[in-house]
Amino acid sequence: MKILIIEDEKELSESIATYLKGEDYVCEVASTFDKALEKTELYDYDCILLDITLPGGSGLEILRELKANNKMDGVLIISARNSLDDKVKGLTLGADDYLSKPFHLSELSARIAAIIRRKNFDGNSLLKFHSISIDTVAKLVSVNNKPLELTRKEYELLLYFVSNKKRVISKNAIAEHLWGDDMEGNNDFIYTHIKNLRKKLIDAGNADYIKSVYGMGYKFTD
Amino acid sequence: MKLLSKYNRVNVIATIIVLLLSAIFYYFFIKAALIHQLDKNLKVEEREITDFIKENKQLPEPTNYKDEQEEFIPSGNQKINRRFSSIDIFNKEHKENVSYRQLEFPVLVAGNQYKILIRKSQVETEDLIKLILKITLGMVLILLVTLFLINRFFLNKLWKPFNTTLQQIKQFNLSGRNNINLEQSKITEFTELNHAVSIMTNRVSQDYDEIKNFTENASHEIQTPLAIIKSKLELLSQSENLKEEQMNTIQSVYEATNRLSKLNQSLILLTKIDNQQFRESEEVNISILINKHLSNYEELIAAKLITIKKNIEDNVKMNMNETLAEILIANLITNAIKHNIDKGIIEITLTNNRLCISNTGIPLECDPSELFERFKKDKVSSESLGLGLSIVKKICERYGYRINYNYSDLLHTTSINFWL
Repeated sequence: MKILIIEDEKELSESIATYLKGEDYVCEVASTFDKALEKTELYDYDCILLDITLPGGSGLEILRELKANNKMDGVLIISARNSLDDKVKGLTLGADDYLSKPFHLSELSARIAAIIRRKNFDGNSLLKFHSISIDTVAKLVSVNNKPLELTRKEYELLLYFVSNKKRVISKNAIAEHLWGDDMEGNNDFIYTHIKNLRKKLIDAGNADYIKSVYGMGYKFTD
Repeated sequence: MKLLSKYNRVNVIATIIVLLLSAIFYYFFIKAALIHQLDKNLKVEEREITDFIKENKQLPEPTNYKDEQEEFIPSGNQKINRRFSSIDIFNKEHKENVSYRQLEFPVLVAGNQYKILIRKSQVETEDLIKLILKITLGMVLILLVTLFLINRFFLNKLWKPFNTTLQQIKQFNLSGRNNINLEQSKITEFTELNHAVSIMTNRVSQDYDEIKNFTENASHEIQTPLAIIKSKLELLSQSENLKEEQMNTIQSVYEATNRLSKLNQSLILLTKIDNQQFRESEEVNISILINKHLSNYEELIAAKLITIKKNIEDNVKMNMNETLAEILIANLITNAIKHNIDKGIIEITLTNNRLCISNTGIPLECDPSELFERFKKDKVSSESLGLGLSIVKKICERYGYRINYNYSDLLHTTSINFWL
């Protein structure tokens, strides 16, 4: 999987690249408008992370070029402007998703995974982790081919974990992913959810994949 | 007290005093002048009498009119000084005292001394003085009436530009963007005032814009370093072999960073609403929106064993910006969940003109009127930013909704009236 990170802030693009490399993505970085345009014209990527404010031009211009050339790359806009205009413009221009800075890397990773799944869903909508398989189109989970009943939030939680395998995910990132920005300061709630999901997975015959990392959060690993 | 009435009061009092003083002055001056005139007339009479005596060696017939009387009294050897005096004589006909000016002088007629008394009535003088007094009083009256009329019709018109300016200043609202339109005036003072007011309001608006822009830019610039810190911390937490102590430190920094970035986002949101950046509006179905958010938080509601009592009319639609509507409803519902007690209640009532959300909870410790202020938290809790309700209020203000909070029967109730 090839990913292009178009971001002028070097430290940030490095962090993103480091995190994503752990997910077996191949990452390239473009830090200026011209460089980004050059790379998008020459190569195809599974997903492009696009910052809107770039030295030399607007990220939206690059998006326009991509669509004009009928490129199929998935595009995830990452903007510090958090402006509704940018979001609406970006999405109408054909971006797949929008994430405003600052974001959790785990959230970014989950969004990228979702975009890539949607892009190559021809026979590839099934997500597997050991005996767990998740049908992301039908939103169904089965363990050893037996259906596992999960609530909507439990399903989202499992999908989030599988998109960030073997990573420490903070409680804040999980809470924000499940309930959005407005539920700040209620991370205790997620404990109940994790406990329920963990119990359901173990009852279905799985090993205990959800490890709690003291102080930080949780890790989904074998 | 109005400037006008104050001015008028001083004016009227001063005028009355001056008029009364001048009346007193007139009185004495004119009285003296008239008496001087009478004395002159009396001297003429005196000369006529002495001339007559010189010529005829005898006394003339004494005249005795109403306003001029003469009396010749033989006075032997008595020493008589020539002198003027004012006397009152009782008039039997009119039964009143009548003032006279009298000249007393001696004459010798054929070796006999006579005392001659010539009197002239002062009635005319007194009439004159009365007239002067009437005129003075009349003038005071005319003055008062004139001042009243000027005040009523002319001054109000004269002060109109001032009142207009005052009205405009009262209505001046920085965030409302209603610029001051001042009336032209021919009066120098008002022109100067208007000039000063427009310079001041322009400068204030400019400063306000600058501060707003600064806030917005600063907040945006802060987002990038925050994003870097957050991502580095997340990477750091992935490292193997971290000790528990180090993990705790990372988590603390991470949480503080999260709070900072949320705080920053809330401030940006407030600034944006201030800057009227959410212009697009559409019909938003509030009923659907509330149900959507309730189902989004259903696990949280269940975890706290909260009972929801819904009384939501279908298809309540408001014309507003979709993002702002989302934020408004999400803030109200999350507040009702967050500040609720275990096994509590949330009551939501929605009609075409009113949204009312009540929740159980511990009573407020702060003044309810301060609740909508920025950074107002009831209890010092680090988890809450204290910006949620001021965002709610800002959104309501933006659309002219009236928002109210009250606490009774253990229920915190926030209500929004859509139509005023």
